[in-house]
Amino acid sequence: MFISDCRREFYDVIVSQRVLLLVASDVDALCACKILQALFQCDHVQYTLVPVSGWQELETAFLEHKDQFKYFVLINCGANVDLLEILQPEEDTFFFVCDSHRPINVVNVYNGTQIKLLVKQDDDLDVPAYDDIFRDEDDEEEDSENESDGSEPSEKRRRFEEDVIERTMKRRQRREWEARRREILFDYEQYEYHGTSSAMVMFDLAWIMSKDLNDMLWWAIVGLTDQWVQDKITQMKYVTDIGVLQRHVSRHNHRNEDEENSLSIDCMRIAFEYDLRLALYQHWSLYESLCNTSYTSATLKLWSVQGQKRLQEFLADMGLPLKQVKQKFNSMDMSLKENLREMIEESANKFGMKDLRVQTFSIHFGFKNKFSASDIVYATASLMENIEKEGPETTNFIKALDSLSRGNLDKLHQGLDLAKKQLRAIQQTVASCICTNLVISQGPFLYCSLMEGTPDVKLFSKPVSLCLLSKYLLKSFVCSTKNKRCKLLPLVMTAPMDVEQGTVIMVGIPPETESSDKK
Amino acid sequence: ALRRQRVEVNIELRKAKKYEQILKRRSISVSLVDVSPSPGEDHEIKMSLEEIAEAVNGSNEELQLLATQEVRRMLSRRNPPINQIIELGIVPRLVEFLSYYDNAPLQFEAAWALTNIASGTSDHTKAVVEGGAIPALVSLLSSPHMHISEQSVWAMGNIAGDGPLYRDALFRCNVIRPLLALVSPTTPIGFLRNITWTLSNLCRNKNPYPPLDAVKKILPVLLYLMEYEDKDITSDSCWAFSYLTDGPNDRIQIVLDTGILPRLVGLMVSPDLTIVTPALRAIGNVVTGTDEQTQAAIDAGVLTALPYLLHHVRPAIQKEAAWALSNIAAGPPQQIQQLITCGLLPPLVELLDKGDFTAQKEAVWVVANFTVGGTVEQVVELVQSGVLKPLLNLLSTNDSKIILLILDTISNLFLAAEKVGERDRLSLLVEELGGLEKIEALQNHDNNLVYQAALSVLDKYFS
Repeated sequence: MFISDCRREFYDVIVSQRVLLLVASDVDALCACKILQALFQCDHVQYTLVPVSGWQELETAFLEHKDQFKYFVLINCGANVDLLEILQPEEDTFFFVCDSHRPINVVNVYNGTQIKLLVKQDDDLDVPAYDDIFRDEDDEEEDSENESDGSEPSEKRRRFEEDVIERTMKRRQRREWEARRREILFDYEQYEYHGTSSAMVMFDLAWIMSKDLNDMLWWAIVGLTDQWVQDKITQMKYVTDIGVLQRHVSRHNHRNEDEENSLSIDCMRIAFEYDLRLALYQHWSLYESLCNTSYTSATLKLWSVQGQKRLQEFLADMGLPLKQVKQKFNSMDMSLKENLREMIEESANKFGMKDLRVQTFSIHFGFKNKFSASDIVYATASLMENIEKEGPETTNFIKALDSLSRGNLDKLHQGLDLAKKQLRAIQQTVASCICTNLVISQGPFLYCSLMEGTPDVKLFSKPVSLCLLSKYLLKSFVCSTKNKRCKLLPLVMTAPMDVEQGTVIMVGIPPETESSDKK
Repeated sequence: ALRRQRVEVNIELRKAKKYEQILKRRSISVSLVDVSPSPGEDHEIKMSLEEIAEAVNGSNEELQLLATQEVRRMLSRRNPPINQIIELGIVPRLVEFLSYYDNAPLQFEAAWALTNIASGTSDHTKAVVEGGAIPALVSLLSSPHMHISEQSVWAMGNIAGDGPLYRDALFRCNVIRPLLALVSPTTPIGFLRNITWTLSNLCRNKNPYPPLDAVKKILPVLLYLMEYEDKDITSDSCWAFSYLTDGPNDRIQIVLDTGILPRLVGLMVSPDLTIVTPALRAIGNVVTGTDEQTQAAIDAGVLTALPYLLHHVRPAIQKEAAWALSNIAAGPPQQIQQLITCGLLPPLVELLDKGDFTAQKEAVWVVANFTVGGTVEQVVELVQSGVLKPLLNLLSTNDSKIILLILDTISNLFLAAEKVGERDRLSLLVEELGGLEKIEALQNHDNNLVYQAALSVLDKYFS
């Protein structure tokens, strides 16, 4: 059931309880978790945090803890499955689900007691009406025997309450209702998509309780940006949500007030930016960023010789000398960095890149710490899926979570380094796949399989990384081929997951031309 | 060869199973429904059993009607409290209400209530009959109100269905004439369905068979009903014919004399299982009769219809079709020849090879009877049709009777072979098909008769 008053029906309920937090492994979930943890800290709420990376882990975690907890908060997991069926909880167990996965399972929607959904009301949900899909078991008419079998007619027959004709009508009505129900549920459940970022939902809660801080706002921004980076929401929704966050940013970050404190180490400022969508460019060289951002790499076709030429032309068009562009961004001449965004945008238009800039936010704190929201997304995701294991299973998750706090710059920088490695690995893998024709058309879909021994293949044994690779590969592949049909086809990718066990991880992504977010 | 009557065992099993199912359904509903002391959950009037008895036995007409209606409602839902109603002792009184001609609603409710009581066990039906219901119901057949006469028909169907005793009690009460008079071109289809079902119950059961004069009166009406384009009516009518043909040859003849045979054969290939089953049963019964009666069935086209049924999707149909065929194969050579001419050998071989096991057993009978009654030429044609291989394969069955039948058949085949000097060729063929091995293996069989029969075959034809 949907919660209408987040504070009263959720926060006030759990504030005095021991709570188990089950958090999915994506950046939006981590951000939502950070916000909630901050709130919990204020109110000294007792909780335990368990990262879960899949259904199996969710079930296991639940089973392990169900005797000690009655209140569970699920972040970015649980909305789209029948939770009660899967977990089989006792009647006095309650689940608060803050999950951007859609569609929400109808059982979760209509369960009035144990499942509470923290979902924004304006998320387009289209949940089917109760009466269309549930039916109280009323008297089943006793079927007349010998409906369709060849057995002998009964020796005796009782006459029932309803007239025979009425009974047949009821049966027919029931069949019609069931057919309609099947159609309704099919339409409702056939496409997967995402609703509002969970981090934004948590921020909203904090705001309602007047406990919202600038840090929490920043996490909400990162959560939304994660949805954008992973292509989980439509352009329109992204822009709308940016607008929502911008109002909060203005509120928290009045320019006048900050003039005095702008250099204070403890102070942080969030600013709206209409920035270049070049991944990590401020922590890299412009050149590297151009090469390793899928948008530019795919449009310019940088895996080919002509593509490289085009890149040179592009840089020349902007009047940017190669030597400069290959330096670390911060070391670039100031004169070149002035108006860089407008310059790049103008040139980009000539080369077929009309969307090189995107609305986003950046954060400033301390003397020289400036990060774009997407920087944080890439860094955090890389930390989370770091294949170097430095301790027990959950260490990476915790480290990624920690890196979101401003005080843990070292972890953030580690994340940025890992992210650069990952983006480079992605582009190299993409180039190699295209040049060696590893993307095969299998009729209704495209297929690409990464073999053991492929360089960097270990990086892609994790879901978010593999997804990112797949998206970039598909984008590039569509640009690389004259075959128009490829734009309509989805892509299935596989990569080795655990070499010892011989398992493989597989991902499927929708076609390039889909402007809808429904998959 | 001798024609074989159908084995009754399956019917008993089927009856028991259905009753079980009904019982099962009731016990499920018990857990779902609240066991509340007062009957009647969804309407305003709630009367206790005592109140009902009082009202029914009293003289206030309004209360009588209310109470009877209440009883009817109780008996029309899940878990009808039939025993409790009977124990109230009101059944004779309800029967009395049947004759209250100035109170049609009361007559109707009483008739419905009694119908439902009679729908229970034999004891329940007994209570209704012993309450004097039969003559009263017969009178009601002439009611000016159609819904009342229909209800009476229904009640009588339940009474007749209980067994030959009450069935004949109905006949003795002269049920036939008023009942048959209800069948007319203007009778509504629902009513006709009820009448047909009741008629089928009146034709049902043996020990004793229904009285011949009654049967003779019913048959013309059944013929009329068979022309209706209604699944339920056609099905129940066919069942009636299947009951009427299930008896000695004179009974079969009465049915044949109506000329219904072509229609029945036509219905054998209906796409509707509820029609195919009884039509096939009836025809199967007919060919257990005399050679002439069997010929009538052949003339009506049964041999054209049977191949479809031999590979019907339902094993039960395959089996009955094979049984019917086995009885035709037990006839004179002319009929066996017609069997061959109408192309029954290939489907027979296929059935023997791949059919359901119960059907395969009947198919063995077909072959066995064929080898007994057929001419040498016909037997040769039988062997040429490829029947030997699947037949020999069936020697690995567990059924001793069938093994003996097959060995017997093989002996017959050899007898025929000897007459045309092909004995050695047949031995070779049997050996090539792996039959010799199988027969040799049978020397180790537990069953003494099998062992001896196998030995005899080996001695005579393979030493």
